[in-house]
Amino acid sequence: MEDRSLQELDRPAPREAEGALPGPSDAELILAVVERDDRRAYALLVGRHQGQVRSVLRRLTKGDAALADDLAQDTFVLAWRNLKRFRFESRFSTWLYRIAFNAWQSEARRKRELPLDDDIREDSAAGACEMPDIVGRVDLERAIATLSEGERAAVAACYYADLSHEEAAAALGMPLGTVKTHVLRAKAKLRARLAPRKDEA
Amino acid sequence: MMNEDKLDRILRHDAATAAVADEDFTRRVMERLPPARRAARAWTTPALVMGSAALGSVLAMALAPVPGGVVQAALDIAQLHMLTPAALTAIGIAAAILASAVVLAADPD
Repeated sequence: MEDRSLQELDRPAPREAEGALPGPSDAELILAVVERDDRRAYALLVGRHQGQVRSVLRRLTKGDAALADDLAQDTFVLAWRNLKRFRFESRFSTWLYRIAFNAWQSEARRKRELPLDDDIREDSAAGACEMPDIVGRVDLERAIATLSEGERAAVAACYYADLSHEEAAAALGMPLGTVKTHVLRAKAKLRARLAPRKDEA
Repeated sequence: MMNEDKLDRILRHDAATAAVADEDFTRRVMERLPPARRAARAWTTPALVMGSAALGSVLAMALAPVPGGVVQAALDIAQLHMLTPAALTAIGIAAAILASAVVLAADPD
């Protein structure tokens, strides 16, 4: 069982690479939207990127799928409105994530008025030890949910949105050093929290 | 403690397989988009603006305190008397209309 799961981890991920998608490229679809108000082209873009954007937002919202989907909808509607301003200087997905992170940050601030850099999640981290022992993704989801907002955002950006540290810093509006620190701290916490169950298994 | 490489692989694998199925999400987004703007033909807007400007110009000339108005301007221009008040007014208005046509033609929005 352990061997099988490790083999699965080693297998190349079925992640969609932007350049390797069948059909028109993102750039072609964006031009169709901007020049001809082509809604079918935009539907293709949404369909192509919604999975990753919603997945990132679910990590950010600690698994709140309804909130994540609301934020994802806001993200795509806002992207539609601002598509003319997209300058092709970054990947379309990077630009989308920037909008998604902004939407999430606004929502987080609206709810709790907490700055993104706050590291005051230790109480919930302690609670994580009492969580029921559910293996796999749920474990990981819960472990990620116990991270501070800044750490969670950094992990979501660098792993789930597949951004470089520099891109993540730009998308999150954080200094590069802060992103790197958040990632390091987050990984240390995740390793500590996932270790007992995973290693025992 | 878990090996750092293993955590890295777990995170990357989770990220790669965590994409959410569409389940009508795209349709809901498309329904929330602002209404489609009417597909105006490339020439309609400039034509409408030009027509309105031309009509306004004729009215302005007809009502302007220029001796003879439109008729006098036409007569002066026909006789190549370009420096009369009526002819200058007509030429000025024609130039303004031409300039607006150029600006409209150059602006894709």
